[in-house]
Amino acid sequence: MALLKMEEWYDLARETNWTPSYASEEELYPETMSEDFGIPLNVWETFDEPYKVSYRDYVRAQRDKDVAAYSVKAALARAEFFKNASPHWKALLALHFSAVCWAEFHSASCFGRMTRFGRAPGMRNMATFGTLDEIRHGQIQIYFAYEFLKHDAVFDWCHKSSKTENWIIISLRHALDDIAHTRDGTTAGVMLNMGLEQSFTNLQFVALSADAAKCGDHSFATMLQSIQTDEARHAQIGEPLVRILCENGRKKEAQQMVDISFWRMWKQFSALSGIGMDYYTPLEHRENSLKEFMEEWVIGQFGRTVEAMGLALPWYWDYLKHDIATFHHAQQIGVYVYRATQWWRPIASVSPAEREWLEEKYPGWNDTFGKCWDVVTENIRNGHYDKTVPAPPPLICNMCHLEVSGVAGGEWQPVDYHVDLDGRRYHFCCEPCKWIFELEPARYKGHRSIIDRAFDGTIGPELDDFLNYMGQSEPERGVCGYDYQWIDGYDTPVAAE
Amino acid sequence: MAVNVQGMKTWSKLAKNKRRPSEYEIVTTNLQTRNRHRDQAYELSPAPDLAMNEWYRKNVFDSPLQHEDWEEFRDPDQLIYRVYTRTQDVQESYVDGLLDDHNEIDHDAGLKPEWLDVLEHLYTPRRYLQTALQMGAAYLLQIVPASTLTAAAGFQEGDEFRWLQRIAYRTRELQTAHPERGFAIKERERWEKHEALQGLRELMELMLATYDWGEAFTALNLVAKPAADETMRELGSTARHYDDHLLAALVDNQMRDCDRSRRWSTALVEFCAGHGDNKSVIQGWIDKWMPLAEKAIITYCAALPESEGVADTAIERLHAYHRSLSISA
Ligand SMILES: [Fe+2]
Ligand SMILES: [Fe+2]
Repeated sequence: MALLKMEEWYDLARETNWTPSYASEEELYPETMSEDFGIPLNVWETFDEPYKVSYRDYVRAQRDKDVAAYSVKAALARAEFFKNASPHWKALLALHFSAVCWAEFHSASCFGRMTRFGRAPGMRNMATFGTLDEIRHGQIQIYFAYEFLKHDAVFDWCHKSSKTENWIIISLRHALDDIAHTRDGTTAGVMLNMGLEQSFTNLQFVALSADAAKCGDHSFATMLQSIQTDEARHAQIGEPLVRILCENGRKKEAQQMVDISFWRMWKQFSALSGIGMDYYTPLEHRENSLKEFMEEWVIGQFGRTVEAMGLALPWYWDYLKHDIATFHHAQQIGVYVYRATQWWRPIASVSPAEREWLEEKYPGWNDTFGKCWDVVTENIRNGHYDKTVPAPPPLICNMCHLEVSGVAGGEWQPVDYHVDLDGRRYHFCCEPCKWIFELEPARYKGHRSIIDRAFDGTIGPELDDFLNYMGQSEPERGVCGYDYQWIDGYDTPVAAE
Repeated sequence: MAVNVQGMKTWSKLAKNKRRPSEYEIVTTNLQTRNRHRDQAYELSPAPDLAMNEWYRKNVFDSPLQHEDWEEFRDPDQLIYRVYTRTQDVQESYVDGLLDDHNEIDHDAGLKPEWLDVLEHLYTPRRYLQTALQMGAAYLLQIVPASTLTAAAGFQEGDEFRWLQRIAYRTRELQTAHPERGFAIKERERWEKHEALQGLRELMELMLATYDWGEAFTALNLVAKPAADETMRELGSTARHYDDHLLAALVDNQMRDCDRSRRWSTALVEFCAGHGDNKSVIQGWIDKWMPLAEKAIITYCAALPESEGVADTAIERLHAYHRSLSISA
């Protein structure tokens, strides 16, 4: 073969900056979109992507990946699997696909911002693949979700959720819009790639993929792994950016970008993957808990990456170690008891055997979160189903837009984090969420949480108004995925009718 | 289980359509979140408190180009990712074959000196032009108000990058065959200073500094890109007369990608032409940008050997493209 090797021409394809003269720098790189942090262009041009690939090799490799992921044989196996899948697994699939399809597709736009408004040619090119990758991730996952739609209408939310005002969707949109879609090209590059892709996609994809394989959903597992190979490639945009910032006197800014974005994404993954791993994965297939995954992949591996780049561990690292064992347990209670506010069929996953697993993985669970479940369990055993749904609305954090919670039971430590600003009180679930708000109040203060909207008249007074506002028509309101039969594992109901 | 589980035929949002939705529609529609609220495209403080919400309101919601539901737009090619990579892999294999064959016969060594002059001044510096087109498409995909538009512009960005890399590849080959020349060294200088390229550079820089989404689409996809592509087409035809069959074949292949861009651009114009003032809005933008495009074509083509009438032909093709759009009377 007389073809050049990629190394022979690759550098020329990233010597592509020129000095404009028909439009000014400010016109070409407006402040909102572009920020150079006072670092000269020739320094940005030293951006060196650790993983290099040509367009030619990219389309070949990606084509091959898709041939495997879209195989007809796999589709048949998947349909068979779905028909026999337990409510556990169906809840997990519905939650995963309704959150990720549009979110991934949207990331294409964030990479577009990096390409257009970043200053480094190497980043421009890597981000071009990032855009294409994320179109792939949106499309392939929604394709999978569509296959389930004919069996189960809850999957309609994989397509419609992006445009609804459902509280979980608001929460996810708020977090992603904050780190990826409303920042300049450089900051978005650090925040999306360090705060999400480098740190958490592993958790969602590798961990979920392992669970999926154990549950016999091999094609879902393969698809997730295949997505993760793309994430691992384009996530490498983050590191060279952080290095350039640190070496040029912008360590403080880089640190802050990582600290903000990591926390914002942790809260999302805690709810999404945390509930997915510790509650929605069928017990017989569970191996590692969220806490164990977090300790290995995130606190361990990501922590080392952060330090290797010359940054400090985020200031809330100790609090994080506490949060990985608590936050998602509290969220799971909220998600189950307020189930009508969800489009899928939530499951409790607290049968005696499951509680045993939770107690083993999270010593003290029975005396804390377990106490709340005792009440729920007792009400169901007495046939008081209505009592399992609390009347008052929950308090929602004005940053992560998830429920403000604490550790239930004996160690309940209700701490009211709040900020008063311009006559309004903002509530937060924790110190880091409050810290992020106080760094840039103007970014956040005009936003109204779902509960703010219920009280300011945006949403009508009735429960129906509330649910309809969120996009929950009657058949789209979540009910217990086991129709309460999960309590059969307990003693014969005391006063069942 | 007593839980009542029912399936659905298709996404509720597509249920009203008469035809069964295609895979393209299933996986590409309705995936945008930023087109819901005028003041709050993004789920944070509304405009003007958050600069990006202000940006989106100004450049999209308040754009002179209006449609009540951009999400209804469909790419006529119905292109999805897995078809894109498959198609482009085949095309890239073809290009690999071309490069391999021509390298085998020492094609570059046989090129005439006067043609090498042309390549040095008018071909290899075009990797900067491709960068501008790559950046332009990248702006479009992040600002457009529908996921079907993001996908179409995203694939276009991929195409621009494809040709950026292929030009870089050819630049290195030409340098190896003709080390005494300016290949791989002088491209930036020529892009910034060589007279023949200044019209194109001016067009690109001003296009990049255009942020209203409708005007950015018009400036890039209806004027600047087709103009740049027409100059490429002319370079390719000239190449044939100088026995550079490799470049001629590469240009032919590149034009396939350009045609796809024109197809979805044409479809977008058709999609919105019937609404409000859109026709005259688009026509107004074309009229505003055409003088720059014509100037770019004229200065570029004048530097081609045998340039007699070439610019006119290229400009006429651009006009013909505009006449084919649903806005022309
Ligand atoms: Fe992704
Ligand atoms: Fe990604």
